[in-house]
Amino acid sequence: MSRWPAGSQSALREANTALIVDAVKQFGGLTQVELADATGLSAATVSTIVKELTQTGVVDTRPTARSGRRATMVTLARSTGIAAGIVVGHRGLQVLLGDFAHEVLAERTMPLPPDHPLDTVLDRIALLVVDMLEILGTDLTELAGLGVGLPAPVEASTGMISVRGIMRGWDGEHVGNVLAKRLGRPVHVENAANLGALAEATLGAARPYADSLYVRSSFTAGAGIMLGGRLHRGYAGTAGEIGHVQVDPLGQICRCGRRGCLDTVVGADALLASLQVSHGSLTLRDVIARAIDGDPGCARVVADAGRAVGLVVSGVCQTVNPQIVTVGGELSECGEVFLAPLRETLRDHTLPNQVAPMEVQPALLGTEAEVMGALVHALQSTDVRMQRER
Amino acid sequence: MTSPIDTSDTTTGPVLSMHGITKRFGAVEALVDVTFEVRPREVVGLIGDNAAGKSTLAKIIAGALQPTAGLIEIDGAGVTIGSPSAAHRLGIATVFQDLALCENLDVSANLFLGRELNATGFLHEGRMAQLTRSVLRDLRAQIPSIHTPLHQLSGGQRQAVAIARTLIGEPRLVVLDEPTASLSVAQTAEVLTLIERLRDLGLGVVFISHNLTDIGATCDRIEVLRHGRNNGSFAGSSVRQADLIAAITGAPGYGTAHS
Repeated sequence: MSRWPAGSQSALREANTALIVDAVKQFGGLTQVELADATGLSAATVSTIVKELTQTGVVDTRPTARSGRRATMVTLARSTGIAAGIVVGHRGLQVLLGDFAHEVLAERTMPLPPDHPLDTVLDRIALLVVDMLEILGTDLTELAGLGVGLPAPVEASTGMISVRGIMRGWDGEHVGNVLAKRLGRPVHVENAANLGALAEATLGAARPYADSLYVRSSFTAGAGIMLGGRLHRGYAGTAGEIGHVQVDPLGQICRCGRRGCLDTVVGADALLASLQVSHGSLTLRDVIARAIDGDPGCARVVADAGRAVGLVVSGVCQTVNPQIVTVGGELSECGEVFLAPLRETLRDHTLPNQVAPMEVQPALLGTEAEVMGALVHALQSTDVRMQRER
Repeated sequence: MTSPIDTSDTTTGPVLSMHGITKRFGAVEALVDVTFEVRPREVVGLIGDNAAGKSTLAKIIAGALQPTAGLIEIDGAGVTIGSPSAAHRLGIATVFQDLALCENLDVSANLFLGRELNATGFLHEGRMAQLTRSVLRDLRAQIPSIHTPLHQLSGGQRQAVAIARTLIGEPRLVVLDEPTASLSVAQTAEVLTLIERLRDLGLGVVFISHNLTDIGATCDRIEVLRHGRNNGSFAGSSVRQADLIAAITGAPGYGTAHS
C-alpha cells in the first residue's frame, strides 16, 4: 500500500475502495473473503466498502458457496446486459466482456499458432466466451452480441474477408455466420484497425474530434478512418488498408500477391528477418521488449518502421485531413522509439495547417484499443437493433 | 527473477544440451541416439505419438531416469543428473502431469512444500507469503488469495501454482509435461500466457503436449520424437500443423531411416 501517500481518513477510504474495485475488475468475480486476501484489507473493511459500493451501484453481490460454506460473491454491477469484444491477431486472441456503460467485466488473452486455422480459432472463441460468462455468473442469454475484429479488410454486411490471401485459410468463410450459429447470438465482424478508430473516437484520444485516423502497427499495418464522426469503411471494407500501399517497387512479393507493399517492409516477418543475422531468431515481443530496453539494433528496426509507416500515413492524412492521428498496435508499445520517427516523417510530408495543426498521439486505450472497439461495435449494433424494434 | 538482457540469442549457449541419448528397458528401446537442446529464453515443444519417448526424455532431464548412453550438458559443462534433487540443484524444475500438489494445503504452503524457510526452528510464514506473492506477480497469475486451499482452485489455477512452485528455486530450465491436458479453454489461455511469462523471465522451457494448437501458439522451436528417435525439428514461427502431423506419424518423406 506504499504507493498511496499518507493522508486523511477519507483519502485512505478512497484508496481502499479503488483497491477493491480493481481486484473485482481483475478477477471478474470474487467472494468477500478472497477480496480481503487479494487486497490485504481486513474483512470488516471489505464488508463495509462492498456495502457502500452496492448502494452506489458499482458492484453487485449475490450468495454463493465456497467449500460448503456460505459466501458473498462480488461482481461489477452491469446494466442491461453484456456484450463481447473479440480481436483475432496473427499470434493471439483477445476477448473481453463489457456492459453497456463500456465497463470491462472480464478479460482474457490467448496465444495462437502462426497461420491459425479458422475452425480451431472460432471454436476457442466460442468456448472462451462461454467460460468467461460462467465466471461472471451468467450465460449466453444475457449476451447482447459479439463484435469480432480481424486483421484483414472485411465486407461488413456479410462479415467475409474481402481480399484473398491476407489471412490464409480464412478466405470465403462467413466468419460471422459460423460464430452466430454456434452461439445463437448476433455477431458483427469488422476490420481490427477500423475498430481501433471507433474505440479511440468513442472512448479514447480522438474523442473531441470529428475526423480522426487510427494507425495500427502490429504483425501487419492497417488504419481506420473516422470522417464526420462516422467510420469510413469504403465500398467493400478496404478503406485504410495502408499495409498494402506500395512503398518499394522492387521489394518482396506480399501476401496479397502484389510487390513491395508496406507490410513487406514493416510487417513482423520483415522486421524479424532484418535482425536474423545480428540477433538470431526473435519474436515480435522480443524486439519490442529490447527496443524499450535500449538495444540499438532493435530500436533501429522499430524506428525505421515508424518512418515507413509515417510516410504512407502522410498520404492518407493529405487526402482526408484528420485532426488527430492515434497510433496503436504492438509496435506502439515501444513509445517514442516508434512514435517520434513516425510523427517527424508525418510532419515533413503533410501540408502544415496554420489553423489546426494535426496531432499525433499514442492510442489512449493502448493495445486494448481494437478489442474495446469490438465491444463498442457490438454495443452500437445492438442499440440500432433495439431502436428499430420500437 | 529478472535476468540481464542478453544482446544476442545466437551467442548464448544452450542451457541444456543432450547428445546421443539412448535409453533401453530390456528389449524396449525408449530413446535411440536422441539430440535435444534448449536455449535460455526459448520455449521448445516436444511432441510425438504415445510411447514416442517424450516422457522418458522428460524424466531423464528431471533426474528420475538415467540414460543407458549419451551426454548431457548444462551450460556447456557435462553433468550426470543422478536424482531429482540433483536436477533441482542444477536449476532444472519439472512439473509432471499429476502436478504433485497437496489439496489440503494453501497456495503458499504448496510453493514451499519440503523446502520451508526456517531459522531457529520456526517457519518464516511472513517471508514465504511475501515470496509467494512476488512469484505470482512475476507470472501475473490469476490467483486471488495465497491462503486458499488447493482444492478450491480451478484446474488452470492449480497448474499456475505448480508452475509458480518451480520458480522458488530460481531455475534456468522448466519442463512442463502436458500442462494443458484436461483444462477448459479459459484455463488453457491462462497456462499458455504463463508459459510466455516464463520465457520473458529468461528461462528455457520444455513444453510437452499433444495439442498442436497450444504447441504452435507458444513454441519457438518444435522437436518431434517418433519411436524414440528425433524425427524433425521445426521453427515455431513458420510451422504448418500438417508438417507436424506428418512428422509425428512418419508420413512418406518425413520418416528417418531406422538403422
